[in-house]
Amino acid sequence: MRSYLHGTSVRLGVALTTIAGALALAFALSSASQASTGHAVARSASATSSCGPKPGVKATGSPINLGAINTKQPGTDFTDISNMAAAYFACVNANGGVGGHPIVLHMLTDATNPAQIAADAKQLVTTDHVLGMVGNTDIIECSVDYKYVQSIGFKVIAAGIAPECYSTPNYADVNMGPRYSSDGAAQYAISRGIKKIVFDQSNVPGTAYNVGGVAAIAKAHGVSLTQLTENVPITDANSVAIKETQDAGPNGAVVLNFTPPEALVILQAAQKLGLENKVKMWACSTPCNTDFLAKALGPAWQGHFYVNAELTPVDGNNSPTVQLYKAILKQYGSSVSGGIGSFSQMGFTIGEIATHALESVKGAYTVKSVNAAFEAVKNYNTGMLCRPWTYGPYKLHIANNVDYTVTPKNGQMLIAQGCTPISADDPGIAAYRKAAGG
Amino acid sequence: MAEVHDTAVGGQAAAGAPAAVEQPPGGKQPAGGGLAGRLQGLTVADLIRAAVIAALLLFVLFGLPSLLSLYYIDASTQTAIYAIVTLGLGLLVGRVGMVSLGQAAVLALGAWVGARLLFASSMPFELVLLCSGLITMVLGTLVGLPALRLSGLYLALITLMLAGAITVVLASTNFPNGGTGFLGYNGASLHIPPIRRPGIATSDPAFFRYSVIVAALMFLLVLVHLRTRPGRAWVSIRQSEFAALAAGINTTLYKLWAVALAAFITGVAGGLLAGADKYLYSINFQTQDNITLLAVVLMGGVFNMWGAVIAAILMQFLPQFLQNIGVNSDWLIILFGVGVLQVLATAPAGIADQLPKDLARLFRLIRRLVRPAPQAGGTS
Amino acid sequence: MPSWTDFQPFLITGLALGGVYALSGVGMVVLYRATGVLNLAFGAIGAFGALISWQLINSSGWNEWLAYLVCVLFGGVLTLLYGMIFGPALAHRDPLVKAAATLGLTLILLGFMDILWPSSGGQSRSISLPTDTGGFMIGQVQVTWTDVIGLGVGVAITVVTGAFLRFTKLGTAMRAMADDREITATLGVPVRRVEASAWFGCGVLSGIAGVILADLVALDPTTLTFLVISSLAAALIARLQSITVAFLAAIVIGTVDSMITPIQSLTNYRDMTPFVLAVIALLWVNRRRTISMTRQGV
Repeated sequence: MRSYLHGTSVRLGVALTTIAGALALAFALSSASQASTGHAVARSASATSSCGPKPGVKATGSPINLGAINTKQPGTDFTDISNMAAAYFACVNANGGVGGHPIVLHMLTDATNPAQIAADAKQLVTTDHVLGMVGNTDIIECSVDYKYVQSIGFKVIAAGIAPECYSTPNYADVNMGPRYSSDGAAQYAISRGIKKIVFDQSNVPGTAYNVGGVAAIAKAHGVSLTQLTENVPITDANSVAIKETQDAGPNGAVVLNFTPPEALVILQAAQKLGLENKVKMWACSTPCNTDFLAKALGPAWQGHFYVNAELTPVDGNNSPTVQLYKAILKQYGSSVSGGIGSFSQMGFTIGEIATHALESVKGAYTVKSVNAAFEAVKNYNTGMLCRPWTYGPYKLHIANNVDYTVTPKNGQMLIAQGCTPISADDPGIAAYRKAAGG
Repeated sequence: MAEVHDTAVGGQAAAGAPAAVEQPPGGKQPAGGGLAGRLQGLTVADLIRAAVIAALLLFVLFGLPSLLSLYYIDASTQTAIYAIVTLGLGLLVGRVGMVSLGQAAVLALGAWVGARLLFASSMPFELVLLCSGLITMVLGTLVGLPALRLSGLYLALITLMLAGAITVVLASTNFPNGGTGFLGYNGASLHIPPIRRPGIATSDPAFFRYSVIVAALMFLLVLVHLRTRPGRAWVSIRQSEFAALAAGINTTLYKLWAVALAAFITGVAGGLLAGADKYLYSINFQTQDNITLLAVVLMGGVFNMWGAVIAAILMQFLPQFLQNIGVNSDWLIILFGVGVLQVLATAPAGIADQLPKDLARLFRLIRRLVRPAPQAGGTS
Repeated sequence: MPSWTDFQPFLITGLALGGVYALSGVGMVVLYRATGVLNLAFGAIGAFGALISWQLINSSGWNEWLAYLVCVLFGGVLTLLYGMIFGPALAHRDPLVKAAATLGLTLILLGFMDILWPSSGGQSRSISLPTDTGGFMIGQVQVTWTDVIGLGVGVAITVVTGAFLRFTKLGTAMRAMADDREITATLGVPVRRVEASAWFGCGVLSGIAGVILADLVALDPTTLTFLVISSLAAALIARLQSITVAFLAAIVIGTVDSMITPIQSLTNYRDMTPFVLAVIALLWVNRRRTISMTRQGV
């Protein structure tokens, strides 16, 4: 439409083209370097053939449609989880599918906008006609959608964040979420004999809920607790780190519940200020369990920093599941930008569970049969979690409630404590174990 | 009569003045400075224009919902609500020449007030909208007071500072979620109750219609202002504050009036937003949203009320459309950036002004191609 | 209320934070004085450059100083390109329009950064300057050389650019041009060349600030891009004119912000500090209402 414009527009066009050119150059630069590290290993069909029933046979039947909703905005982005679940399904589809049917994952995103989330859910259900939802990972999706999801009878398999992901009949998660993961970090610190806990988290929805478990566990052990929240993004991490150490004191622990970038900022500030050993322990909920962080933190942290880990550590792990995970990531995971890490592990686990459930469906794939199959998943050994995973007809789901503690060493996260159940001092855990008869 | 003079954003049309001479499209052109601004007897053109708009409105109300999926109905509801917000900002920027980088924060205030009232009382939804409009008007006017002392760049920046402060406060107080106390927020709340909608508009298509009607009323309210005394005062203030003062116009009053009007309709939009979203979160209101809002308003065009509609479509409908066809939302941010540069450098009156001209030019081009004139080839 | 000894460390970190605000605040004032453009893309340009450095160091194995040099040059070249293309197109427009145009560049850069360096896998990136490991103690607080550099670069920019704009021929030309491009041109100043050097110089500043802020604050596109909003406060208090005032204002803002941290009831509101101080300062200096009659209409 603008081809017949006057001089200024032409000049502007040149200008924008130039800028685009400069950016394209930067793009080429970065993607070239990514290419050199990304997909160097040759494809091996045998490594991934175990994900489906008929190795090498493409599934050509009518597709089984599933949906996922993820947060995606600059700075907070969880799309790797559904991307990895989709990669798992791609692997299944290339190896016979489920009874000859390929699984298609429709993925929508939102910028933490309730209206957008509600619209996404309706798009998936009423337009894309998905039979179920798997891989939802979103700061507020469970809070916004749980009633709707309940009304249409979906049993979502998610990697949850919001409180309603863990307290409603229609969501079950492969992860523990901020509250129970913080529980894990706090109880590990308490087991090491700290006298005080300073719990700091980003000021996002559900802060009081998130700290609820830590407060109950601390109270049960006679440990005092200080609660802090920080507005994100943090611009003055030095002050945050000093405040935390001042409040915790030499016999206390600082427990952090932040996204990886924010946690990194605080920990690096503490490192620069030499605060690693000013408190007895630094601990962190699961987002800190990344090699990015292990690499960025220096040796002074050894013995001072522990992270709750919800999924089996993959560094130096050669179990068949981990091998399959890495192989799928290599062969089908081109859109999984973070590569190996807890996000893609969650996506992989969700893919595993959903596929396993779909394989058990007898007869036609309908909303009813698919979600009944999801709910019927019982004691399924994913190979990625401490315990077999169960959905079950419960009024709340904390399906993953036993986990590891890891600590950084030489740029990797290594196990400090093996599988340990989250304390039933947290009333949420107690309620779940009662409901699930565990 | 057309009035793209030396305004804050209008500036000189970079392409060299003629852009300013053509009429804004689609009717609703503001009362020109020289015209007697009283609502005059309707001409045939006015009637046709009104009929077209009425037909369009009827189609949007009764035709559109049955054509769209629920996904797009939700997106359209947001578009209708944000059209009110962009209308308010467009009013300030285009008609009065006050560039605010704080209107997204005013919207957040309106949404907070609306949500609080909806949780706290069983007042009819319409009354809540009115109250959130009025309360936001008071708050927004307080926020807008600096506007009386500052202009241009400083005004824009101080509103950005105020927006930043408001955003920090809202991040700390959070949005009401059915809790008790003044703030109505309970951080430990499980199963947060949704914010209620009006009884006649609980379903999504019904709430869409409801929002469109409220938006239409707000447009009408602004139109009435533009066609009467305040509109004329604003025009003269924007052209020259000195001249306005010299002509005996109480510039302080009319500037404040504009700020109050914009805050009022934005507050109403906030109340609607509370009902549309059902759940509100402070992380959904960021300081940088003010920047995006100004970007789309500039792109849409500030000298024309259609610009507000286009801006709202850009901000709320386009992202949903792009996502649905599988385009990464980051490209939208880039598109907004390019749009701002393009508009500021070549088409200060925005898409609402540019599009009809481009179409007209295209039409002429096609006509010439179809029926080659002797001097063919004059299309550079 | 915490005791004075509890406050002491925050005084030190406050100076460091002040250095952070000063780096971008002063940078923006310099460009404004030299070109008449408030470059709101200052943070985005620096962030983009810093991310390129990160990429070169971590994926291509470059020498880090070389990589930081690339960042600085990137800032210079990109800013120069922008200035050369849009400078003339917008030369006669209101300063507000010029500032709004840089918002366009900001959004473009932000979008590309999120595409090129995604966080969809929870990636967190960081730049650690070699100066992070060395330092000294003030009281109980460890101060790294990077903190010192952050503050030092702020001081250096303030002194050097202040002197440059005042005492050198090129600097005088820049100031004249920022005031009135046409008249400056008729006086025989090579407007294009002067403008180019102003843009390039300020771009270099944004590149330098990008590397240091990536270390001091975070290597995160969104954080660094919108850090300018808080940093603007210092620039605004200086009315976009006085480099020294901008620097001092930044230090005050940083110190106040940081000192509020240990006060439990206020700590969540401390991010308001720059905004509140800027609003108060602006209203104070504008307490008598004036309408200016300049050509540019501010």
